[in-house]
Amino acid sequence: MNYNQESLRNALAAEYVLGTLRGGARRRYQQLIMTSQSTAETTWLWEQYLNGMGEFVPPVEPSDIVWQTIQQKLGFVERPSNVTPLQNERSPKNSKWRGPALFAFAASLLIAVIWTSVQPVLSPPVTHIAVVNDADTNPLWLIEISDQQLRVRSTDQVIAQADKDFELWIVPANGGAPISLGVLPKDGELKAPAAESLRSVPIMVLAVSLEPLGGSPNGQPTEVLYTTNLITV
Amino acid sequence: MEHEELFPLLCATAEGKKEAFASLYTKTSAQIYAVALKMLKRKELAEEATQDTFIKIWHGASSYQRSKGTVLTWMVSIVRYRALDLMRYHNIRNEVALGPETDSPQTSMALPTAEKRRLAECMDELEDAQRQAIHLAFYGGLSHQEVVQHLDSPLGTIKSWIRRGLQSLQRCLSL
Repeated sequence: MNYNQESLRNALAAEYVLGTLRGGARRRYQQLIMTSQSTAETTWLWEQYLNGMGEFVPPVEPSDIVWQTIQQKLGFVERPSNVTPLQNERSPKNSKWRGPALFAFAASLLIAVIWTSVQPVLSPPVTHIAVVNDADTNPLWLIEISDQQLRVRSTDQVIAQADKDFELWIVPANGGAPISLGVLPKDGELKAPAAESLRSVPIMVLAVSLEPLGGSPNGQPTEVLYTTNLITV
Repeated sequence: MEHEELFPLLCATAEGKKEAFASLYTKTSAQIYAVALKMLKRKELAEEATQDTFIKIWHGASSYQRSKGTVLTWMVSIVRYRALDLMRYHNIRNEVALGPETDSPQTSMALPTAEKRRLAECMDELEDAQRQAIHLAFYGGLSHQEVVQHLDSPLGTIKSWIRRGLQSLQRCLSL
């Protein structure tokens, strides 16, 4: 399909913004927004066209609890006493994913996953970084790589799914098959030994896929959601 | 709500100023919540979508660009995408019947800006069936197939109404 055709680009953008573009087509389009500036700009144009209709809806005051919850989630107001930074920086909504997420990490054969306590450690110098953004360019994961360690921190923009995991991949520049780096954290932080392939394989981009719990069942990405460049620092 | 009023608040929010963010919430939350409630129908889901939207706005205020529309339009974009995600995740279409109001949103209400007046005029110029199908998808978050069930017309006809309606809307708004 030639996405450069203006009429097709407009048709897809319009139905994406309207919400009638569904399923795999919608997910593919979200990836296209990230890789094609013209697609992103056409989408913004249709957001302008259509989403002004949202202002035609008569306003309805939300309950006070909405603002209170926002303030709590953003840390503007005090939380329960046993909260420590980073690892417990989870919203109440996400707490139900904690069990399945931990199970998924334990089940993964693709990477040794260790949830570390938040303690000062001497970290090796970071050689590469990457930020995985969603379709709206909101950061989801910050990735730091040193000679010994892969460190991934999730942001509160990550929308966890109870029955799915996110998996990180190397997409080799030589056209070879993607190489798994392991299942990503849905919240908090992950530290793991840096895979040998991070040093030995020429990397075109990193990719994040949506997988069944525990990671890809066949060693290949099931559904690629995002890609990002690895930056040398 | 005027873009000129909200834009400075968004800029200050991008700088981490909580007071500005609180003011932005006060001025816009009723509109954002109303959009979420119209799509999701359920109070608790609409509240979740509204919370997620403002959390995204706090973290992503600096990603706003004028080419994405006015500040309020950009915020509506965020809440609509979140509401669509929640609808799919909770599969609520099977549970929630659409009210008759979804067919006829109040495009005749007082419109604050020239852009909105123009949008309302262009929507009014669409054929009734096209406008109704687009309204169902926009305000109710319906898929093509769900619009079929609501309007009792074949899938091909519904797709055609929406596609041609959107094309006509673009032509009108581009003038």
